[in-house]
Amino acid sequence: MAGAALRDQLSALLSSMFSQGLVDEQFEQLQMLQDEGGTPGFVAEVVTLFCDDAERIIAEIATLLEQPIVSFDKVDAFVHQLKGSSASVGAQKVKFTCMQFRQFCQEKSRDGCLMALAVVRNEFYDLRNKFQTMLQLEQQIQAYDHKQQ
Amino acid sequence: MARKMIRVLLVEDEEIHRVMARAAVKAAAGAEDDDVLDVAENGAAAVRRVREVAPYDLILMDRQMPVMDGHEATRRIRAMGVTTPIVAVSSDGLPADVEAFIGAGADHFTPKVSQATRQCRPCDACMRHGQQYMIDLCK
Repeated sequence: MAGAALRDQLSALLSSMFSQGLVDEQFEQLQMLQDEGGTPGFVAEVVTLFCDDAERIIAEIATLLEQPIVSFDKVDAFVHQLKGSSASVGAQKVKFTCMQFRQFCQEKSRDGCLMALAVVRNEFYDLRNKFQTMLQLEQQIQAYDHKQQ
Repeated sequence: MARKMIRVLLVEDEEIHRVMARAAVKAAAGAEDDDVLDVAENGAAAVRRVREVAPYDLILMDRQMPVMDGHEATRRIRAMGVTTPIVAVSSDGLPADVEAFIGAGADHFTPKVSQATRQCRPCDACMRHGQQYMIDLCK
């Protein structure tokens, strides 16, 4: 029964992540790649890499935007990188906010970039919390299944 | 009769995309454990590997990389007389980007994130052209 409850929780979490637009079809494809490709732990590995990269990139962008003279090319390069990795993992909202962010980079607007950074940060933290919960539930399910064997 | 081993060179600087491409190549139709997926983290390393290692069957080339980008690496590989199929992979997919890659000598271009439906095998950086090459190589 506990296993079923955990699976229900995971299923509900994933459904809400899709319905809220946090993740898109690309995330579904990662799950398919894991299931069909026989690569257990693949989604966890990719999600963890994404979260670590995003954290680092956001910090780099924040530092760049604090400089007296902002290098918008460098900021744009980092935003492009974050957009790429968020698109690859299916982090839809983060991806869209990055697209808007790039507009402010092209306009060379520090205020616009700061505002966009705040939005990206919030969207990323929200998604990261959901990913962490997802991974914890998956580990609990695995541990439960292992006990039943 | 055993089919020949497939050698693929993935040129990609970001680890997350390398991990995804590795999984995608493994999942590609007919891929086997003996098939080799080499990795180069920038264009200059890719040119070195192509020069020094046994011929590759397929090269997947990212665009934006430190040291040497994908356009320049493609140009230099072609200048060496190497005819290995090169599939360019980029997040942007802008017409100018595609044109630059094909002009440099790439055979095909594919966006990093596929627009595949559920019917298509999920295969980041290997969709369509790259995957088709893998399928053809595995026949």
